[in-house]
Amino acid sequence: MRKDRRLHWLLLAPALILMAVMLYYPMFGTVYESFHETSFLSPDPKFAGLALYRRILADRTFAEVVVNSIVWTFGVVLLQNILGFLTALLLNQNLPMQGVLRAIVLLPFILPGVVAAILWRFMYDPQLGLVNSLLLQMGLIENSVAWLADSRMAMASVIVAAVWKGFPFSMLIYLAALQNVDQSQIEAATLDGAGPTRRLLDVTLPAIRDVIVVNVVLTLILTFNYFDIIWVLTRGGPQSATHIFPTKIYETGFGQFRFGEAATYGVFSILVLAVLVALYAIVQGRANRRRVVA
Amino acid sequence: MKRSLLTAVTMGAMLLGTSSVLAQQVTLQFWDNQQTESGLSDVQKAAVERFMKENPDIKIEVTTVPYPEYQQRLLTAVQGGNAPDIATLDQIWVGAFAKAGAVADLTEQAGAAGLARDNFFGGAWDSAVLGGKLYGIPFNVDVWQFSYYNKALLDAAKIDPANLSTFDGLKAAAEKLTTNGKFGVGLFGHKGEDTVVVGDSFIFSNGGKILNDDGSCGLTEAPAVEALTYLQQLSKFAPGGILNASSGDMRELFLNGSLAIEFWPALEQPTLQKSKLDWAFVNGTAPEGKTPVGTFGGWNLAIFESSPNKDAAWKFIQFMVREDVNGDVVDLIPANKKAATAFLEKNRKDPKVIMAHLENAKARPLSPRYLELADAQIAMFQEIYAGGDPAAAAAKACEAINALD
Repeated sequence: MRKDRRLHWLLLAPALILMAVMLYYPMFGTVYESFHETSFLSPDPKFAGLALYRRILADRTFAEVVVNSIVWTFGVVLLQNILGFLTALLLNQNLPMQGVLRAIVLLPFILPGVVAAILWRFMYDPQLGLVNSLLLQMGLIENSVAWLADSRMAMASVIVAAVWKGFPFSMLIYLAALQNVDQSQIEAATLDGAGPTRRLLDVTLPAIRDVIVVNVVLTLILTFNYFDIIWVLTRGGPQSATHIFPTKIYETGFGQFRFGEAATYGVFSILVLAVLVALYAIVQGRANRRRVVA
Repeated sequence: MKRSLLTAVTMGAMLLGTSSVLAQQVTLQFWDNQQTESGLSDVQKAAVERFMKENPDIKIEVTTVPYPEYQQRLLTAVQGGNAPDIATLDQIWVGAFAKAGAVADLTEQAGAAGLARDNFFGGAWDSAVLGGKLYGIPFNVDVWQFSYYNKALLDAAKIDPANLSTFDGLKAAAEKLTTNGKFGVGLFGHKGEDTVVVGDSFIFSNGGKILNDDGSCGLTEAPAVEALTYLQQLSKFAPGGILNASSGDMRELFLNGSLAIEFWPALEQPTLQKSKLDWAFVNGTAPEGKTPVGTFGGWNLAIFESSPNKDAAWKFIQFMVREDVNGDVVDLIPANKKAATAFLEKNRKDPKVIMAHLENAKARPLSPRYLELADAQIAMFQEIYAGGDPAAAAAKACEAINALD
């Protein structure tokens, strides 16, 4: 018994050491730095207590970053999951050229984030972009719109780009789940006279409920942490209209050399992520228990 | 027997000699960034080979980093104690690197070697001086901005290009040229340094300052606010989306003939020379009776404090800024004035006109916290281009700038 336990720890040791070095050391380092005034100009950390936290909380930009992060995260997650689910439903039908269709749908997900962002930057260009060109031709707008330069439009524009990039990920997971739904239940519901909507609501959705919840929580974590699209499209601008935690951390740390403040933003970010990870663990645990019971 | 013994002794002596040279040879790490696709790295490699031939006891290892990653790589290297021996530093970084104690004071070496301000463009030299000490040697320079214009569009609108040199003339021309889906002037206001340097040049040309002589913010002074107000008026004749537009975006429009005037440094000329456009340029713009003042851009060579081979590094810097070398290893304009003259004659249109603008250009504020200062300026420009009150935007910027210690 004791030998077994020792063997367990021995086998776990490499992974634990790796996590400690690669994950926990930088994380605690960040927390440590957030209590110290440190920058490129004064690299020797000076203990500052909660001064950096007070400074950041008093800064108007912090409130903007929080609001933007919420709008961005929930906007992307909601749209990405709805679009992903609807696309999965469509691709779950017996369509002609299904393989080709799936490959086309997967394309945005395969593209590197920076490449996708550059592509959208071209498409959003006020003078030369495809988006304005199409909308003008369709008569939906009268004049070209500066999608990324207008504070009222910029966040919606980066959300659309991120959804385009991310929805195939959600779609893949939903498609796998849909293909595991018990067909006999769907057939029984059809025999009982249930239409497509009724079958979706009463059979399909309950059957993949756990997958939906896990997918939503997972995309919450990934989206909150997403950096590429916003940085390439707007750098958090115009003004701070699209600044979220990752872009603000990068700008403060590498753009202004203020490591202490960047670390403090990082701590707030870690706290939010900790909540989301805990949520994921709870959801995953419940799903596993349900599977065991079933 | 005797002969073979002699041969053996000779060979042994030669080997010993070779190994002693190898033992004394130092290896220098030189980091540079690549801003353009000019094939410069090949030319630079040849120059490095030449240096190593002249200095067999010094080996140079060149690392070229793409511009967008360069600052982060340098910063991480310094923080991690892995800084190179020598690197090119953007003029606006020198203050911070010097204040942080990351780069060496070169005042004495420069004095002893006879390298002085007169050998270089004054503004470029000043960008390496902090607290009276010299922390870098100017390597290459350029000036923001030249007003490049599309001759066909100006001819069609019957506009005399000389008018573009004055505030009133430029505004009138821009208004006249903004018609039928075409735009007069390419203003940009994204979060980037090109936004700052162009804005600065209008402020300088109107007699304004970014920082006063005592280090306080000068943006609320009348000349600066007037220039900002002018820029706001000018923005009506620019393509939409200024707040997310860069100089690169304006280049696209200029090249496709839908923009009449674009603001770029001399570095733009090779691109325009390859195009089919009929183009020319004037040296920026200023109020009637004043000379336009551009904003210096460029890079300095610095030696890192952590380098164990500072003497060898200094030799390499002296070589790179030499009159017969400097022009071959830069894609902007050599900072060495004599080398610049030859370089401009060979590679640029209207070299004398460019030279005059370079001689008259000003450096950006010399502040260890320049990057934060520039961020405050970008916020100000964005507010102005979004239609905010210039005086209020300048006041907000000054509040942020004066709060920097």
